[in-house]
Amino acid sequence: MQNKNSPLVAAFAFAVVLTAVATAPPAHAHHSFAAQYDAAKPITLTGKVTKVEWTNPHVYVYIDVRDAKSGDVVNWALEVGGGPNSLIRQGWSRDSLKTDDEITVEGSLARDGSRLANAKSIVLTATGKKMFTGSIPTEPVSPLPLSR
Amino acid sequence: MNARSTVALASLVALLGAVALPRAAHAQWWQNVPRTGPRTASGEVDLAAPAPRTKDGRPDLAGIWNPHSNKYLRDIAADIRPEDVPFQPWAKKVADERADGSHSREDPDANCLPQGVPRIGAAPAPWKFVQTPDLIVVVHEAFSLWRQIFLDGRKLAANANPTWLGYSTGRWEGNTLVVDTRGFNGKTWLDQVGKPTTEKLHVIERYTRKDYGHMDLEITIDDPGAYTRPWTVKQDLTLLPDTELLEFICNENNRDLEHLPGKPLQ
Repeated sequence: MQNKNSPLVAAFAFAVVLTAVATAPPAHAHHSFAAQYDAAKPITLTGKVTKVEWTNPHVYVYIDVRDAKSGDVVNWALEVGGGPNSLIRQGWSRDSLKTDDEITVEGSLARDGSRLANAKSIVLTATGKKMFTGSIPTEPVSPLPLSR
Repeated sequence: MNARSTVALASLVALLGAVALPRAAHAQWWQNVPRTGPRTASGEVDLAAPAPRTKDGRPDLAGIWNPHSNKYLRDIAADIRPEDVPFQPWAKKVADERADGSHSREDPDANCLPQGVPRIGAAPAPWKFVQTPDLIVVVHEAFSLWRQIFLDGRKLAANANPTWLGYSTGRWEGNTLVVDTRGFNGKTWLDQVGKPTTEKLHVIERYTRKDYGHMDLEITIDDPGAYTRPWTVKQDLTLLPDTELLEFICNENNRDLEHLPGKPLQ
């Protein structure tokens, strides 16, 4: 980490972020991923951030999503990564997402049918910046079927 | 303070600011750690450098470590055959019932309770060995917990009050730190798929630092309450250089429980 005053600061910082993502420890999973989410049910959501809970054990982001057909606005909860520490180590800060930011999220749908997903990546519409969450399933993608 | 010394002080402050600010503007406090350890030509920590030793000649295990993979958090027996886990019949039944995730809400870890030993070391939150000749302290970022490993020859008391992380003593066998831990409360799951433990659990951990950045960990599960014989698994740890542990209070906002299948923990 040197030469931060050079004209290449932006490129350098970008490289640092990439390196941080590549070498970041896996997110902390204090619960079974497969018990809560279905990796076989990917979902993409676009909406405006209504609330950010920058808290342990997981960061939660809430977004208002407008249904393309009905026009209804529905609030979704997104579990983001392993919590503030793993996101901080990947270059995030608690100011990375703010209320009213529009984002597009790729993730896995909750198994219990609630409007909840585990976010794998988030793209900030205004900048196109893609933020990885470090959310890594701690088990095979196709777990045994859950009895409910 | 006269004008001359004021100017000198102001210059010093300005100089310090010029030196310190560019770094402070980009780095978090935990990244501003002294650049210790062997370095490569590019200034990165040389993870392949020889394992260090303490002044008294012991292997030096100090540092921040992280599991190389999180598969052992999921299944401590990920690298051995399922039939090589010597379950007693009741333990096999419990493990089979939990394996599909339908009891995940009952996992103490999901309730922000301690993961137990050895699972806490497999949690993907880093942990730190702080080493002295007579005592090694393990500071876990996971739930901001800690363990003490006494190397001063003391014996574990019989009938110790049962605990989540047990009582640990250690000794050196050549380059390997051997840790015995007993006195568990029998509430923890060995992994997310739910292998049970009892109060009879005795865990033997063998830590061998292979080089500067890598450590082998061999774990023996000796729980005559749940398994028919001791059984052993191997894991590997990686040094996490140039960072620090961060506070992690799990119960701050645990929203997951309501979405997990299973009964509330009794």
